[in-house]
Amino acid sequence: MSAPPAQRADAPQTPDKPQAPDKPPTWRRVAAIVVFAALAAVPWLGSDVLVQFGINALLLAVLAQAWNVIGGYAGYASFGNSVFYGLGAYGVGIAMVQWHLPFAVGLALGAAIAVVFALTLGWAVLRLRGHYFAIATLGVAQVMAAIVSNVELAGRNVGLVLPPLNDDRLFYWLALALLAAATLSVAWLTRSRFGFGLIAIRENEEGAAVMGVHTTLYKALAFAIAAFFSALAGGIHAYWITFLDPESAFDISLNVRMIIMAVFGGPGTVLGPIVGALSLSAISELLSSEVTNIAGLFFGVVVVAAVVLMPRGLADAVRGVRLHGWGYFARNVKAHRL
Amino acid sequence: MDLLAQVVANGVLLGGLYAVMALGLALVWGVLNIVNLAHGAFIMLGGYAAWHLYRLAGIDPFAGLPIVAIVMFAAGYAIQRGLLNLVVRAPMFNTLLITFGLEVVFTYCAQLAFSADFRTINPPYAGSNVALGPVTLPVARLAAFAVALALTVGMWLFLLHTRLGRAIRATAQNLVAARLYGVAPRHLYAVTFGLGVALAGMSGALYGTVSQVNPYIGATLTAKSFAISIIGGLDSPLGVIVGGLFLGIVESLTTLYVGPTYADVASFGILVLVLIVRPSGLLGRTA
Amino acid sequence: MSDSASASAASPAAPLLEVRSATRRFAGLVAVDDVSFSLAPNEILGLIGPNGAGKTTLVSLVSGTLAPTSGEIVFEGRRIEGLPAFRRAHLGIGRTFQIMRPFPGLSVLDNVAVGALFGRGGGTRTGLAQAREEARACLDQVGMGAQAGQRADQLGGPGRKRLELAKALAMQPKLLLCDEVMAGLTHVEVDEVVDVIRQVRARGIAVLVIEHVIHAIKSLSDRLLVLHHGEKIADGPTDEVLRSDAVIEAYLGKRRA
Repeated sequence: MSAPPAQRADAPQTPDKPQAPDKPPTWRRVAAIVVFAALAAVPWLGSDVLVQFGINALLLAVLAQAWNVIGGYAGYASFGNSVFYGLGAYGVGIAMVQWHLPFAVGLALGAAIAVVFALTLGWAVLRLRGHYFAIATLGVAQVMAAIVSNVELAGRNVGLVLPPLNDDRLFYWLALALLAAATLSVAWLTRSRFGFGLIAIRENEEGAAVMGVHTTLYKALAFAIAAFFSALAGGIHAYWITFLDPESAFDISLNVRMIIMAVFGGPGTVLGPIVGALSLSAISELLSSEVTNIAGLFFGVVVVAAVVLMPRGLADAVRGVRLHGWGYFARNVKAHRL
Repeated sequence: MDLLAQVVANGVLLGGLYAVMALGLALVWGVLNIVNLAHGAFIMLGGYAAWHLYRLAGIDPFAGLPIVAIVMFAAGYAIQRGLLNLVVRAPMFNTLLITFGLEVVFTYCAQLAFSADFRTINPPYAGSNVALGPVTLPVARLAAFAVALALTVGMWLFLLHTRLGRAIRATAQNLVAARLYGVAPRHLYAVTFGLGVALAGMSGALYGTVSQVNPYIGATLTAKSFAISIIGGLDSPLGVIVGGLFLGIVESLTTLYVGPTYADVASFGILVLVLIVRPSGLLGRTA
Repeated sequence: MSDSASASAASPAAPLLEVRSATRRFAGLVAVDDVSFSLAPNEILGLIGPNGAGKTTLVSLVSGTLAPTSGEIVFEGRRIEGLPAFRRAHLGIGRTFQIMRPFPGLSVLDNVAVGALFGRGGGTRTGLAQAREEARACLDQVGMGAQAGQRADQLGGPGRKRLELAKALAMQPKLLLCDEVMAGLTHVEVDEVVDVIRQVRARGIAVLVIEHVIHAIKSLSDRLLVLHHGEKIADGPTDEVLRSDAVIEAYLGKRRA
């Protein structure tokens, strides 16, 4: 059986059209730059509330994009990236609170720990297929939360309190810069031999191995890249809210959010996770201003509806509806029902 | 020594309960190849159902088990028939994701409907104990254990000796073979899922008598059910019992000798270890 | 008649591939039993035998999909039985699969490009554009140039077989292992594939062909290797082997007196 979530995402070449060039069409690049500029302008133009919403949404987008590398491109659906997020957070926390090191060092520390953890864990866990891999990562996520709450250095259950830095704008731009870095990395991926190899692994791992792809190494690297960006996001978030405790740092519900955002927007695409993260965050925020719990409920409903009606993400749905009308959704259902 | 015996006894009682919790998950996973991440949420809902039956109608939680079973079966049947059947032929990841979504929905609905308070079901005999040699066993836990074991064995017999049970097992091998038993696949899938949810619900009712129910217990219980299913091995019906007992005893011992906060570390740690070392489980056949 | 014009009749000098006493067991079943043979650098070796004889297993031992329980596999004088499949691909061993393994979501062109990127001809400095060009050339060679833009999972049976061949060729192998590339093809299609394999050999590549289509393998192979129940029962020039009693018996059963 070939490797898991074979989400049919955009391959380097879109098969329905004649040979597409390696570089994305110019209009898409221009649009991306415009959007990026608009996002960068928010702290000057928007309210404080908007900036805070923005920080959360941008960091979630980073998580979704990081997941995209291991889940969307390599096809290994990790349900445990929250661990890397938590490690990044605690890297900053411990470095700043216990050892009085600057923030940048804390970030680097958190990222380094996360990458090492990813490589170690990956060695053990990336040999598992499909749902076993998903469950293993879920199990690890549970273990980490439980372990950290017992470690003295991490402040045990009580957590750590970081020195405050009241500059939301700075955090906003940090988050935006991180998202840009993550996205550019993914864009590079789609044009590189490495990324091609990851996609081959996703589509047919044994076939890829026999054609010369070093599957073990590539999967581990993908996992490490995901860990790297997730950890940085965790570190930034920790310093921003100045408080860290195991339950919120290793929050398991982060996993469902980052996955649904990546999948909703379009896994295995460069901009999909961003679209998914920003749009779902926005809608969730609008709803939660009405009734607090509805936001969470909303996510659940979106997940269920999206999986049934548009399993290939928003980008594919938009294209599909344009080509085939509303029948697109019915076709998806018909193709997958018992 | 007595302390050790007591701790092991506690572990065994807990283990029996865990086993029936995992049974529904293992059934659905093994037969339908559906990895139900909402399993714990169904346990939670079963717990609330039993609590309400007791609170509002005074029905003893054990006596109310059949009611919980029927209600949960109907719910499970409807969900499979109306929702999950729609994604059965999609890549595996889709069922993981959709059940994940259901888990979120159920948790938040429970929070809205029942509030986040902890609930326990306290029938009058809840406080009494029974002495069995050197160990003291709380009556409620003992009863829960007995029922759990009965359900597990009953399920096992059902799958082995009834026509419907055999059709369900045939589905695990081959959908066409299942048709030969004269049962339509959609119905068969829905019945199997319904059974899985009914088991989850009943285990939730039992859980409510020995521990506390709140909207958030779902996720951990799902993970534990996975641990048990994987540790015991999906292929083997005995595996779930072994896995449940194993986990119960390990948690009990860990709580005593290392610390209560480490109980979860132990269970999930073992899950990960088993996945790495022997994914087919202790009793499963090696692939 | 056998195509021995360009192949030397004997395999002297250094063989490209040497299999020494290879055995593969699967929990009680011996799929390949103490098989030894060698293959010269520009030879076409046919591998035949009844179903279940162990042909695909033997090829898997060479390509690295399986490891031998005992015995040695020597490629260009180097022992490779301990190397994983992807390293053997880098050394120059390419194979097609009987149960095909395309990359379903990718286009036909990109399927082949994977070979160009990661096979012996590829490497960290190969760009995507260059790989796609090479892929296009391989597709043209097998006659699939027109389908380059299609999704691989939309191909029919014969198309998939040719895709397998193109993918292996894109790796620039020194040794090509073909596992039943002609199964299910029409007479005309079989002849086309025979031509392709001849062209492959003309470019200096050695080929090991598993086939059931006897007339094709007869015209292609310099030598034949015959397996039965995992054991080698014949190994020699094509005509001789096809006339030998042991081989006829294996396929048709014992001749009644």
